[in-house]
Parts: sequence; structure tokens; C-alpha cells
Amino acid sequence: MCIICIRPLRVEVKTLKKSFNVPGFFSIQDNRTRGFLLPIVLLLSFSSQMTSRFFYQGGDHSDTDDEPTDIDDEPSDTEPAPTDPNGKSKYYVDGNADDSDDDDGQKRVVKSAKDKRFDEMASTVDQIKNAIKINDWVSLQESFDKINKQLEKVMRVIESQKIPNLYIKALVMLEDFLAQASANKDAKKKMSPSNAKAFNSMKQKLKKNNKQYEDLIIKCRESPESEGEKDDDDDDSDDYDSDDEIIEPDQLRKPEPISDSETSELGNDRPGDDGDAPWDQKLSKKDRLLEKMFMKKPSEITWDTVNKKFKEILEARGRKGTGRFEQVEQLTFLTKVAKTPAQKLQILFSVVSAQFDVNPGLSGHMPINVWKKCVQNMLVILDILVQHPNIKVDDSVELDENETKKGDDYDGPIHVWGNLVAFLEKIDAEFFKSLQCIDPHTREYVERLRDEPQFVVLAQNVQEYLESIGDFKASSKVALKRVELIYYKPHEVYEATRKLAEMTVEGDNGEMSEESKGFEDTRIPAPFVVTPELVARKPTFPENSRTLMDVLVSLIYKYGDERTKARAMLCDIYHHALLDEFTVARDLLLMSHLQENVHHMDISTQILFNRAMSQLGLCAFRVGLVSEAHGCLSELYSGGRVKELLAQGVSQSRYHEKTPEQERLERRRQMPYHMHINLELLESVHLTSAMLLEVPNMAANVHDAKRKIISKNFRRLLEVSEKQTFTGPPETVRDHVMAATRVLINGDFQKAFDIIASLEVWKFVKNRDTVLEMLKDKIKEEALRTYLFTFSSSYDSLSVDQLTNFFDLSLPRVHSIVSRMMINEELHASWDQPTGCIIFRNVEHSRVQALAFQLTEKLSILAESNERATEARLGGGGLDLPPRRRDGQDYAAAAAGGGSGTSSGGRWQDLSYSQTRQGSGRTGYGGGRALSFSQAGGSGGYSRGRGTGGGGYQNSGRTQGGSTLRGPHGDTSTRMVSLRGVRA
Amino acid sequence: MAEYDLTPRIAPNLDRHLVFPLLEFLQERQLYNDNHILKAKIDLLNNTNMVDYAMDIHKTLYQTEDVPQDMIERRADVVARLKSLEDAAAPLVAFLQNASAVQELKADKHYNLQLLNDKYQIGPAQIEALYQYGKFQFECGNYSGAADYLYQYRALCTNSERSLSALWGKLAAEVLMQNWDIALEELNRLKEMIDSKNFSSPMNQVHSRIWLMHWSLFIFFNHDNGRTLIIDLFNQDKYLNAIQTGAPHLLRYLATAFIVNKRKRPQFKDFLKVIQQEQHSFKDPITEFLACVYVNYDFDGAQKKMRECEEVILNDPFIGKRVEESNFSTVPLRDEFIENARLFIFETYCRIHERIDMGVLAEKLNLNYEEAERWIVNLIRGSKLDAKIDSQTGTVIMEHNHPNVYEQLIEHTKALNSRTYKLVTQILEHAQAPAAH
Repeated sequence: MCIICIRPLRVEVKTLKKSFNVPGFFSIQDNRTRGFLLPIVLLLSFSSQMTSRFFYQGGDHSDTDDEPTDIDDEPSDTEPAPTDPNGKSKYYVDGNADDSDDDDGQKRVVKSAKDKRFDEMASTVDQIKNAIKINDWVSLQESFDKINKQLEKVMRVIESQKIPNLYIKALVMLEDFLAQASANKDAKKKMSPSNAKAFNSMKQKLKKNNKQYEDLIIKCRESPESEGEKDDDDDDSDDYDSDDEIIEPDQLRKPEPISDSETSELGNDRPGDDGDAPWDQKLSKKDRLLEKMFMKKPSEITWDTVNKKFKEILEARGRKGTGRFEQVEQLTFLTKVAKTPAQKLQILFSVVSAQFDVNPGLSGHMPINVWKKCVQNMLVILDILVQHPNIKVDDSVELDENETKKGDDYDGPIHVWGNLVAFLEKIDAEFFKSLQCIDPHTREYVERLRDEPQFVVLAQNVQEYLESIGDFKASSKVALKRVELIYYKPHEVYEATRKLAEMTVEGDNGEMSEESKGFEDTRIPAPFVVTPELVARKPTFPENSRTLMDVLVSLIYKYGDERTKARAMLCDIYHHALLDEFTVARDLLLMSHLQENVHHMDISTQILFNRAMSQLGLCAFRVGLVSEAHGCLSELYSGGRVKELLAQGVSQSRYHEKTPEQERLERRRQMPYHMHINLELLESVHLTSAMLLEVPNMAANVHDAKRKIISKNFRRLLEVSEKQTFTGPPETVRDHVMAATRVLINGDFQKAFDIIASLEVWKFVKNRDTVLEMLKDKIKEEALRTYLFTFSSSYDSLSVDQLTNFFDLSLPRVHSIVSRMMINEELHASWDQPTGCIIFRNVEHSRVQALAFQLTEKLSILAESNERATEARLGGGGLDLPPRRRDGQDYAAAAAGGGSGTSSGGRWQDLSYSQTRQGSGRTGYGGGRALSFSQAGGSGGYSRGRGTGGGGYQNSGRTQGGSTLRGPHGDTSTRMVSLRGVRA
Repeated sequence: MAEYDLTPRIAPNLDRHLVFPLLEFLQERQLYNDNHILKAKIDLLNNTNMVDYAMDIHKTLYQTEDVPQDMIERRADVVARLKSLEDAAAPLVAFLQNASAVQELKADKHYNLQLLNDKYQIGPAQIEALYQYGKFQFECGNYSGAADYLYQYRALCTNSERSLSALWGKLAAEVLMQNWDIALEELNRLKEMIDSKNFSSPMNQVHSRIWLMHWSLFIFFNHDNGRTLIIDLFNQDKYLNAIQTGAPHLLRYLATAFIVNKRKRPQFKDFLKVIQQEQHSFKDPITEFLACVYVNYDFDGAQKKMRECEEVILNDPFIGKRVEESNFSTVPLRDEFIENARLFIFETYCRIHERIDMGVLAEKLNLNYEEAERWIVNLIRGSKLDAKIDSQTGTVIMEHNHPNVYEQLIEHTKALNSRTYKLVTQILEHAQAPAAH
């Protein structure tokens, strides 16, 4: 089993520090490194704020081109900027002063960042003006180049597609002057040669340059002054909405600037006060809009007019200067006047796409109210589709333009372009993103989570619809989305969701209808195509999450494509593990062969795989399978990048630096907080199980402790803790486990248990008491084993009663444990049945003897490698080579299986590793076994010798997964491979 | 004991006709209400053509002489259909009964078909009719006829799917006629076909394997050599996987086979692991017994399980097969099982003990003191056990011999010498070879 590593993405902080060199940043960085203790997500959001703040500060430096990238933003509104030399920034004051209710202390600092750019630009414009006055084409040319460069910077700063007005105006000015100059032939002649040359090149440059901004220039010419203002205005508010991740109450007011710009677009005058009574205004504007659009009575609107307008709006899409909100509004309006259901559907699809457009960046998320509207629109789309079963949604064929003209009464199939699944996936992605961005410790996060039922109902409806039209492939994709919403929910959470869905959706519906009533009452015409609410607005959840999972998952297994199936399978495994069904989950994992293929899958699936593995580990621990738990978790912890592997925060390392690009990618795949697996719990489980396995193991191999290491990670931690001169009371999980280990080594199980049990995290474990009970039992058992390993040489015989008293275990239990140790030849002793004593045979090797055994083992490996070398050299010439080669492999397999590979035997382990992998699978066990049999047969007593030497098959077969538990490196994968072998 | 009865789990994997012996057995064991079994039998017969038999059962069940109308109708129906099929297959059957004509057939199928078509005007339709006729015969309970027809059909058929199902039919017929040797042959033939690469889908393949294993139980527990063969078959990776995924209850039979087979030890450790893995999906006293002895070392538990095993064996239609000898019947497998199980316990017990009280041992072995002593003496005499009896204290003293360290070391390094020697000669040979060129 492998935990997948995502490409190392490292320390963004450092790079930033280097490049920006901002004083005061260090404290922030400090914060972040110490932040380990903070919940990661808090940290995340925290850090992102930090970055942006830092950016603001950065504005003071001349060479930084920065701006609140995408997180916080557009603070510029607040700043009155009285100090600014030119009036440029007044726009912000005038346009947005009442708009902003966001007065953070940060704004002041921030403001200058953006303004600075504008200032620079403005000053260049001034220079241009001056140059125009004196007809100085040389300096004009210089200024022009300068302003173009500045434009780039500005664009980066404001992060939008919108060209600042200032620039356009400058262009217009230049164009005018150029035209004037070329018209004036005399003046041209009078020019100095250098001036004339500059004039000509300027002419060409300007022509080329202005082509890009053609329409903007035209617009600017149409309404030179007010347009500019409005545009800026619009721009700002636009940015504000799309970038803001904290949804504030002023969302409600968001439409104002839009309708504002809308009106201005249509040549209307700007309403004096846009802060009050937004609804009324909006509605009145709607009416006006209607008039503007069609200039005739609503009843005269025909399909053609609507279609024409629709096309017009669509063409504007993506163009510079088209407000994204504006487009949504216009399209929404069009849906009301659409003539046929098909047309309405078509327009609705465009509305949804336009709504997706609202948020341009990959990192930000869609404003939440837009998201909600989007969901509503999708529901309406479904309504239409259900109402008119003859309408088919298709995204593959080019469609006839007049297809949507066919009305209600048309019987044949009508094709409309669209892709429900893609839309649904996008909506889901936006939901996910918003949860990623919102600070999980705020109310908003909870509020946002409450929106989940809305999505669930949509997904459910889409799935039902797709199934009704027989598109099972698509419906399996939708089913996956639903599965992904459920799989991580334990039963309690699922119950809560179910209840919430029943409650809130009702409430929401009520609200919604009120709203829409508000619309309908005031608007003059009712929509032409009235769509009744056909599809359910309320999700239905079965009693049990398992039932729901089973239904969805079996659908996916039947129809899904490879990736969908793999993901569903992983979710299924996760969910089974969550419900303590370890064996089922394990069998699923093994039968699916996911561990082998997951390397080739996309990163998010790999993360899911890691999550499933961790959950499986937790589950194994809960049901008392310590070695399995360790097997599942050890690889996760081997690299120290747990957070990254589970996408629950960014881990940092000193050695690798991450590029900002990597960092952004990583941030984008973070899990939302509510889906997190408790890392502290994970660590406790991992370390505790490592302790339970390692302590007796270390005691059994005192002579060469290095040889058989079950958990490297644990050993390292133990070493570190042993080096400490002073050990304080335990604080972290690590400290606790280390403290417990120290006492457990001395056989004090009670204290060890107390220390472990005092960990706070156990409260997150389902049925905590039974788990702790199990843990205590295990600790006792391992304490007993440790005791026997350590002190067997000091005893000649030992009474069972004494042991039961020591370790508070029942007699049969002690008998069973000791017997197992005897059979496995871990303990060289036997029972004396009449007296109930353990008689120790003192065959424990002395140090010299143990070394002698090691030596012989190394010798045989040496001989082996000699043979291999010869073989490679001679090209397998000898007749007797093949059998020997087989022997070699056996040996190597034994190294892995029995864990008897010596320190020098790294190669062999590798080899065995690959062998077990490619072998039919059973070789994992087979290797060890084959060896001991062949050896025992061939040279009697050898296997026993090995056993006493501390390796050997028998030693390792303590429990079911025994041989592999003790295997050195590839233990986990060997185990899984061999399990699979048996299973699959 | 009904809780350990596997019939409900086995039956879905068997042919209807094969379930009869199981029901007969259950009836004999009185595990269930007699009437329930009779009803089950009628249900079973409803979809077969053995209407007369169904009628008989109906009579015993309801204690009447009346037979429901639909059964009578069905009988007429069946007879009519039998007639028509017989007619359809008649030319081919006639041909096949003519020994001299059959001599003309050769190994080449196409040649045969050509021959039949040209000489006897027997085309594909007649061959198909033969298949149907054979199938119908089987459904009517005429197994020997069915077996013959299906055998001949297979010789002539070109459709591999049909041929497969004919093979299944033949196997069932042979099993029902208790021709174990022939059945075993058919079984192997079928196994080959299932394992061949061009089998339809993996899913299908697994299902077929599960079926095959279920059917094979009849053969293996009746054939002389069956106990070894069952391990050979079930313990193959593919089949073990099929057991684990689809029919974990078959582990009982494999476990039993392992216990009664002394020789097959190499796979045993693996099998124990499988049993442990499947604990959650299937366990019964037999597998639990193994877990007790080899995993938990709980000998008291093992003993308890052993007693339960006895019951399970007696109530299992396959393992608990009775052999009638003069006028008392024995279950040979049970005796063998108990004997071996005892040995298993004892063997493990001895490995970890230095001194054992005979009384305790006797108790553990479910024997009385004298019996136990005799048993142990026999073991020692047969040099199966390295021990002595101390009759004064009434204990058995194990004699463990532990090779001393030096011996072990010598043992380790002994082989190195010859290996190195070999290596050297090899290198020398190699060095000489190019020189010779």
C-alpha cells in the first residue's frame, strides 16, 4: 500500500521573503512556523490574509508590483486620497464612497499601492499633454512607450481585463492630435527632422496599438467623461464581488452598481442615490430596461427579437467592457420574455454560463448568492426539461439556429445546446472552492455548509433526469458527486444533514417564493413561458447513509468510467472504514487493485486514496488490529508530509522550496475543513500502534537493534527523546507516546496506559471506552511480551500465576500469549504442565554467538552475491545456474518475509520487494515459507538456527500479518500485496 | 445444529437435481420439520419434468390420493414434449445406435458433420434436437440416457457454449448416477475449459469456478482419492480466490480435507491465514478449531470445538456420509477427523511443553487415562513423538533436543564451502573455454 506523494511543494514564505524583503514580515513568518499548533485551516486563511496584508505593505516599495491578488480586496474605495496630486483618484471617492462599508485599517496602506500606479500613469498623461502643447513628437513618443509599460503594471495590479480609462483617454487624445497633425501639412513640413521621424513612427505605433482598444476608444469618444467614471466604478464593484471571499451583508446591495452600469450602458442617466431601496430601483430599472430593449409593448415581442437580443448579448461575452454581472442580468431578463420553452432553456443555459463567468480567477470562488441563483436556474432548467420531454440537451452537435423557435406544441425532438453534467460539476467545484476559502472558524462557513442540501437536491434531480432519459454514463458522474458529499460523514453528521435538509429547504423555499412574488407583483408582464416547479426542491435522504452509498456506488460501478469508478470505490472504502467495517473496506481495497493503479491517477484521486488509507488505519485501530493500523499509516508518516498528503494544510520543509505556482496548485486542492481527518488523532493512532509493535520488538532484539525496524519514524522519535537531557511532562502527542514507551519498556503497563489514555484526542474516537479498553489490553499483552523478552535470561522458571498477577491478565490469555511466543520460537522455553511454570531453556545466545550468527549470514549473502556476479558475468552459462538463481530469490524473499535481511542487505530487500510484487502475489508469504521449508529439508536445523538468530520465518509469524509486520522496508506493500494475492 | 447447516448456502450453486441428495440427507437427519422438506422438494420439482415424483411427494405430504390439476396437466405436457423431441432426434439416435455406422465417424468434427449430412441427411437441426432431447431426459430424471446423449452431442457439436453446457449436464448426470470416476474425468475436462483463456468474462469465470467447486464436493467426498484432490483443486490460487470472494462456506470442506490429510502440510500455513482473514465472513466449528490450535493456542477451546465439529460433521451431507456395514452404520470421515484433530492438538501441545500430566492430557484428548496412555505409547513406538512416560508421577516428559550453537554455526556455513568450490570451477571452466577457442 502506498501513500501517494504529491510533488513536493515547499516554502512559499521564503521565496516571498526573498523577493519582497519587507520588514515586519518576519513576525508573520514566525507566526506561521509556530502555527503548527493552530488548526491548519485557520492557519491557511490566516496565512492568506497575511500574504495580502504583506502585499499592501509592499506597496510602499517602489519595485513591487502588487495588489491584493485575489483574496482581500479592492479597498481602494475607502481612501479619500486627498494627498494625491492629480484628481484621478477622485473617481473612487465619488463613485464608491457610499458603496463601501468596509472600513478596515488596512485600506489606507493598500490604497497607495494601486493609486501609485495610477498616479504614475496620470503624470505620464500630463507629460503627453504638455508634449502635445509644444508639438514635441520626440518626447511624445517616449511618453507613449512609458505609458504602455505602465499600463502593463496597472493591469497586473487591478487584475482585471478592463483597461483603465485614463489610458484610453490618453489614446483618444493622442489619436486626435495625430489626426490634427497629419491634416496640417504645413506644420508637418516645419518639423525638425528628428521630430518628423518621431511623428511618423508614432503614427504607426499608435495605429497598431489602438487597434486593440478600438471599441473602448469608440465608447470613450461617445461619452468621454461620464462613461469613464462609470466604467471605473463598475469595474471596481465587479472586482469587489468576484474577488471577495467573505460574503458580507452588502451582497444584497451588489446589484446596484450593476444596474447602474447597465443604465449607463443604455445611455440612461445615473440615478442620484443608489444606496437606498435597491429593490424598487431595480424593478423600475427593469421596466426601463424592457422599454429600452424592445422599444415596444411587451406583447409585441417576438421570438426573433428575443433571439436577436440574445445573440447580441452573447456576442458581447468576453469582450472588454462587458460587465459580467450586467450580462447575467440581461440574460435573466431575457428568460422572462423568452417565447418558447426551448428558447427559455437556451437562454437559461447561457445565464448559467454567464454566472460561471462572474468569477474569472481559478483561485477565488463564485459569490455565494450568484451560486445560489445558479442552482435555482439549474432547477428551472430541469423543470423545463421534465415538462417538455421532447427537448433534448446535447453538446456535441452544431445546432440549427431556429431550433428553439419550435414552440410548445411542437412534437418532435428539439435539441438545445448544453451539458448538464458539466454545469453540475462546475457548481460543485465552486461550492468546494468557497468552502476552501472561507475561514472555517466563522459563522459564514457554517452558513455555507447549510447550502449543501441545495446542491444535493440539484444533483439528485439531475441524476434522476439523466436516468429517465437513459444516460447512465452521465448519471454515474452525478452520482459520484453525490457520493463525494456523503462518504466522509459519520452517522451522526449524516443524520444532522438529513434533518437540516428537511428543515432548511422548506425555509428556503418559502423565502424564494416570496422573492419571486415580489418580482412578479411589480413587473408588468409575467414571464411568457411559465415553468411550474416540477422537480423536487427538497433532497430525500434514506435513513442510513450506507444504504444511500450502496445505491449510488452500485450505479457507478455499473456505468461509470474508470476514474469515476475508482473514486467511488475509494469513497466506498472510506465510508466502510468510517463505519468500522474494516474487513469489508480492506477487501474492497484489495480486490480493486487500486494501490497499484493509483499512481497513475490524478492528484485529487491520490489524495482521496490517502484519505481512505488513513481512515482505514483509524478503523483498524478501533477494531483492535494494531499491526494493520500501523501498516496503513506508517507510509503516510514516513515522509513527514502528512498534511500535504492529505491536503489538509501545507507542510513546510527547509530543504525544498516551492514555487508560487506549486503553492497555488497545492492550495487549490486543499480539503475543506469539515472534511478533515483529525491529524492529531491520526498521529496518536500511528504512534501508539508503532509503540505496541516496536517495544517488544526492540526487547527481542537487544543485540542488534538496528536490524529489524518496524517503524523507522518511531525509532527516530525515540532516539530524539532519549537524547534530551531533561524530559518535561508530556505535552504533544509525541511526548505522550514517548513517555509511555519509556515506562512500557520497563514493563509498567498501567502507567503506560494512563499516559496514553490521558491524550485528549481520544474523545474524537467513536466508542472511546471500548477502544481504550482494547488499548489497555494490548498494552498489557505487549508489556508481558516485553517483560519475557527482557528478563527471560534471568529466570530458570517462572510461574504463570506470577505473570497473571504482574500483568493483570487472565490465565488462559497468558497461556495463549506465552504459547504463541514459544511456537514462534521467540521465547526459548516450555511449559511444565503439572506445576504451571514456564521453564526457560537458556539458549539465548551470548553476544559473541549472536555475532557469529550474523557473520555466517553475511557470509552466505556474500557467497550469494558472488554467484550472482559470476552469473551476470558469464551470462548464466553454467548448467546448474537456474536452480541456484531460484535459491537466491528464495533467500531474498525470506529477507523481506522474515525480516532477516542484514544491514548490508538492502539490495536483497529491494529485490525481494520487486519479486513479491511481480509474483503471483502469494509470494509475500510464500517467500518466507518457501525458505524455511526448503532449508529445513535440505539442511536440517538451519531454520531453527535462523530462528534463534533472531530472524527466520517462525519468528515472524506472530500474528496473521506477522511475517510482514516484521519485514523491514517494504513491509506494508508486501503485506498488501500478499493479502491481495490471497484475496483477489 | 441447524445453524451450521450449509444447505441454504450451497443449494443456489447447484443444479436442481443435485439438491435432491442434500434434501434427502436432511430428511434423514431430522434437522428440519419433515413437511418443510417435502414442500421444498415439491418446489424444487416444479421446474423439472419429474412430475411423477412430485406427485408422489405431494401425496405423502398431504396424505391424500388426489393430485392437483396443474400437476396432471403438466404431466401430459411433459409427455407430449418428450414425444416430439424424441421424434426430432430420432434419426440421429438411430444412427448412433447403429454400431457399424458409428464406426465411420472420425476424430475430425467437420468430416463427421459432412458425413452425417451427406449420407444420413442429419443436419444441424437434428443435432440440436439431440441436445434438447438429452436435456429433457435429464430433467425427467433419466440421467443415464441424458449422459449418453450429451456425450454424443459433444462429439458432434461445434458451438462451444453449447458444448460447455452439455458438459455441465453430463457432469450432473454422472454425479447423480454416482459414477465417481467418470464424473471426475468430466470435472477435469470442465475445469480445463473454465480455466482456458478464452472464457467469456472474469466475472463469469469466477461464477463457474464456484459452481464447479460446489459440484465437485459430491465427487471428492465419495471418490477414494477425493481428499487429496479437493486440496489440489480448492487450494489453487484462482479457486481459493473464488472461494474467498463468492463462497467462503466452502472453507469448511477445505479445512476438513486439510485435517484428515496428514501429508499436505506445505499449504497449510497459508490456509490458516485465509481462515483468519475470512473469519468475518464465515466460521464454523471446524475452522474455529484450526484457529484455536494454530492461532490462539487455546487448547481448551480447541477441545470444545472438536466436540462441536463432530456434530457438524454428522449433519453435513458431504462429510457426514454414512457407510453401512452389515447392520450398523459408521461415518468414516468423522472418526478420521477426530483422530487427526486430536493429533493436531497433541502435537502442538507437546511442542510447547516439557512435562505433561497424563490425566490432563487424557482429558484434553477426550480419552480416559488408559486409552491416553496407550495412545501415547503407540505414538512413541511409531517414533512420531520424542518423549517418555514417567509412570510414577503419571507424566509424559518431552525430550527436546536443541542443537547447540556450534552445531548450528557449522550447519550454516557447511554449504558455503561447496558453493564456493562450485563457483570457482565454474569460473575456471569459463576461463578455459575462451582459451580453447
